[in-house]
Amino acid sequence: MTRPTDDLRDDPCRPRHYRPPASAPVPPEGPAQDAIELSHTRLLITGALFLLAFIVIGARLVEVAGFKAGDVHFASSRAAAKPLATRADIVDRNGVLLATTLDAPSLFANPKLIDDKRGAARKLAAILPKLTESEIYERLNSDKSFVWLDRRLTPRQENAVNRLGIAGLQFQGEGKRVYPEGHLTAHVVGYVGVDDNGLAGIERSFDQTLMRGDQPVPLSLDVRLQYILRSEIARQMTEFKAIGAAGVIMDVRDGEVLALVSLPDFDPADPGAASPAELFNRAALGTYEMGSVLKIFNTAMVLDDRVATLGSSFDATKPLQVGRFVIHDYEPKKRWLTVPEIFEYSSNIGSARMAAEAGADRQRAFFTRLDLLHAPAFELPEGTPLYPNPWRPINVMTIAFGHGVSISPLQLAAGASAVVNGGVYYPPTVIKRTDGTPPNGHRVISATTSTDMRRLMRLVVEGGTGRLAGGSGYLIGGKTGTAEKDADGHYETHKLLSSFLGVFPINDPRFLVLVMLDEPHGDVRTSGFATGGMVAAPAVKRIVMRMAPIVGIPPIDQNSPEIRRSLMVGLPNPQGRKLAAN
Amino acid sequence: MRWLYDPSRPQQTLSVKLLSINWPLVALITTVACIGFALLYSAGNGNWYPWASRQAVRFLVAVLVMLAVAVVDIRLWLRVAYGFYAVTILLLIAVELRGAIGMGAQRWIDLGVIQIQPSEFMKIALVMVLARYFNGLPSEDIGKPWKLVVPALLILAPAAMVLKQPDLGTATMLVISGAAMFFLAGVRLWTFGVVLAAAAAVVPFAWHHLRDYQKKRILTFLNPESDPLGAGYHSLQAKIAVGSGGISGKGFLSGTQAHLSFLPERQTDFIFTILGEEFGMVGGLMLLVLYAVVFVYGYAIAFRSRSHFGRLLAFGITTNLFLYVFINVAMVIGLLPVVGVPLPLVSYGGTSMLTVMFGFGLLMSVYVHRDVRISRHGEAES
Repeated sequence: MTRPTDDLRDDPCRPRHYRPPASAPVPPEGPAQDAIELSHTRLLITGALFLLAFIVIGARLVEVAGFKAGDVHFASSRAAAKPLATRADIVDRNGVLLATTLDAPSLFANPKLIDDKRGAARKLAAILPKLTESEIYERLNSDKSFVWLDRRLTPRQENAVNRLGIAGLQFQGEGKRVYPEGHLTAHVVGYVGVDDNGLAGIERSFDQTLMRGDQPVPLSLDVRLQYILRSEIARQMTEFKAIGAAGVIMDVRDGEVLALVSLPDFDPADPGAASPAELFNRAALGTYEMGSVLKIFNTAMVLDDRVATLGSSFDATKPLQVGRFVIHDYEPKKRWLTVPEIFEYSSNIGSARMAAEAGADRQRAFFTRLDLLHAPAFELPEGTPLYPNPWRPINVMTIAFGHGVSISPLQLAAGASAVVNGGVYYPPTVIKRTDGTPPNGHRVISATTSTDMRRLMRLVVEGGTGRLAGGSGYLIGGKTGTAEKDADGHYETHKLLSSFLGVFPINDPRFLVLVMLDEPHGDVRTSGFATGGMVAAPAVKRIVMRMAPIVGIPPIDQNSPEIRRSLMVGLPNPQGRKLAAN
Repeated sequence: MRWLYDPSRPQQTLSVKLLSINWPLVALITTVACIGFALLYSAGNGNWYPWASRQAVRFLVAVLVMLAVAVVDIRLWLRVAYGFYAVTILLLIAVELRGAIGMGAQRWIDLGVIQIQPSEFMKIALVMVLARYFNGLPSEDIGKPWKLVVPALLILAPAAMVLKQPDLGTATMLVISGAAMFFLAGVRLWTFGVVLAAAAAVVPFAWHHLRDYQKKRILTFLNPESDPLGAGYHSLQAKIAVGSGGISGKGFLSGTQAHLSFLPERQTDFIFTILGEEFGMVGGLMLLVLYAVVFVYGYAIAFRSRSHFGRLLAFGITTNLFLYVFINVAMVIGLLPVVGVPLPLVSYGGTSMLTVMFGFGLLMSVYVHRDVRISRHGEAES
């Protein structure tokens, strides 16, 4: 500071030949020098203070983060020490808590031991908001030696009651069931009654296991996917003013349910406030005539039994008259259609003719193999499918395009998983498979048929009725479904059940995403249409786009030669048009 | 071009200036910004759109701004300090008169192409104007209280306007960074004592004038569990998010609190929660250490500056950045009430990114021109 030549020498920008001018600046002296020293001192003080502040927030961060580790330790040591087991937790596949039990003691009194009943009632009323002073006094002023006052107190209330120091008040240790994810998993996890007995969902079907309380029950659900599914379905439901909706995300390789949503839903902490419609699980308990999505099964059956090949054609020139019924197409092509075209454009006439060719016995046997004619062994209450008896020729034709049998969305997902996963049916489950090996499935179609079906499902998204599920950057294949709801024996044109069943990546299927909307209403954007392709397919696309990064599937260049080859529909049709996924 | 090339200092050509920029600091800044991109990618549920990609583009533009600011002669920044301050004050008045209202607060001006938040610019303008004022004040005058009236007004006027928007966080930052510059300029310690005592006397009166939501937030801060679903929601959920990350976090993109929309506005002021949840305590501490290194650089540059103006400027800018980080992180982990202060370089937001990088530009300019001596009137002495 006092030797200016040195100061200039440490200037990195100074060229070597540069000499400091003779009139080098005079070093500051007196007050100016003092001011610089003061500011340097204060700079260091401020810097040190700020460093200290940073250390404080760092320490706080450690405390906040470390809290969890300590808490877990505490919980486990307490569980070991406690002789009476509390109801076990329910967790998702990654260990996220879905249901747990917190201590919540209940308060009772022995009125004979309480002298100042008026005073006690007044003090208790201040702590227990559910009861008025007169109610408490009424209970205390009895000649019994045991009266319940209030159940499930918070720790704060318990503490406050203890601090009153009134003899004759006692606690009964009890647990309170808490559902941290609330509505999100309500239909799967279920809920419990006042005495912690399971009344619905997993709480009910695993009641005994949960009461033993040694291990958390891990579900196959992934709460992140559950959230995505629920938010997208809720969005569609609001947008198209549907009365209800359901959705399933399934791992096609082993039948694990990764997400299962039914809307409207309810708060599992307060099931009493829910309406029957909210408590009803549309995804598993509800059975519906699902419409054209069942063409997946019809086409797979025809191809697998070699009733027809991809090159076969069927007459769809005009509506098909069977007895007093007439079968129409939504988008009539008025010509002969090949099997891929029938699937791509969802031709009812073509499908009915295909099924007729196969016959009732084949169809019934095939549906049985896919577990579609009886409620599968599932952990949640399942709806019993409805099917015609006797199985007439007209039934064969309507079942081909999804009218005449009622199945649950979950059954549909499990069956379709088998069609695309190489041909093996795995019973669906919401319990996480722990041992890593897939359960014993049984073969329903050949691997070749399964590959053909994937290609057909890709066609639907590329250029068929499911176009709105395309363009996501991921290879989605699928099938639309739009069914008219059965009302007192006839079908209502304006009450639809619209769905889309998507599978991705379709060249190597891993996930099935099913979205179903109950009575959606078309709007301006869909030109008034409320078909599965219009209202459900866009939701599946968005769900795939949101879940793919989470499940680790990268976007794909769908125009790369390998992808195109793997999805090419091999046989030329009679017109000579080569059906490629374009 | 005079401000880029100074004939009296022929050794400092533009290219030499560019070379003499503190590139390790630039690398450090880029590292912190990249952490921000990763967190925004995660906040978008694993998508570049809508946040991460835009933020990256903004950062690239802001880096150019920073370099441009850095190579401009520091004496120009001294010259324009008052003008810059005046323009920012006018913008604040414009916000008051016809600003856009976002989320119940009037903070934005819509320029058609972009929306700007003048209160962010004020953080820089205030530092510049105070640095200029104290640079021009003879050192023996610093002990005279009446000489401090003007700079006090320079702080209080914008602080009052920002408080009225209402934006308690920014107003607090302005006052604290202004006070810090007073301290560095050598204002006598008893002055601070008097001001603090006066402020304490005003508190009950000021409490009366706070907005209901501000009162509620302060009360909630004192006892967040009192209203876990209402006013306490944000701070409680943020604490849960950070706490649930544990030591090493749940892993990139695997946080549930932040992804499942428990935390609205997670991409802006509460982005630290995503870091805490997905990378845990280790990730949080690492970011804090990175920031700390940035501040050490800042204060070292202030220490090394030969001019009073440069020292004050570098100090003020660094203090501002420190306050950003400190207030934001302390708010997220529940040490301070919830106020709207972004995490510099990391939170999503254009004005804040631009302001922060402009500030870094000034810091670099001080570094590049560390040996330029500046007289009280802003002229070079050698």
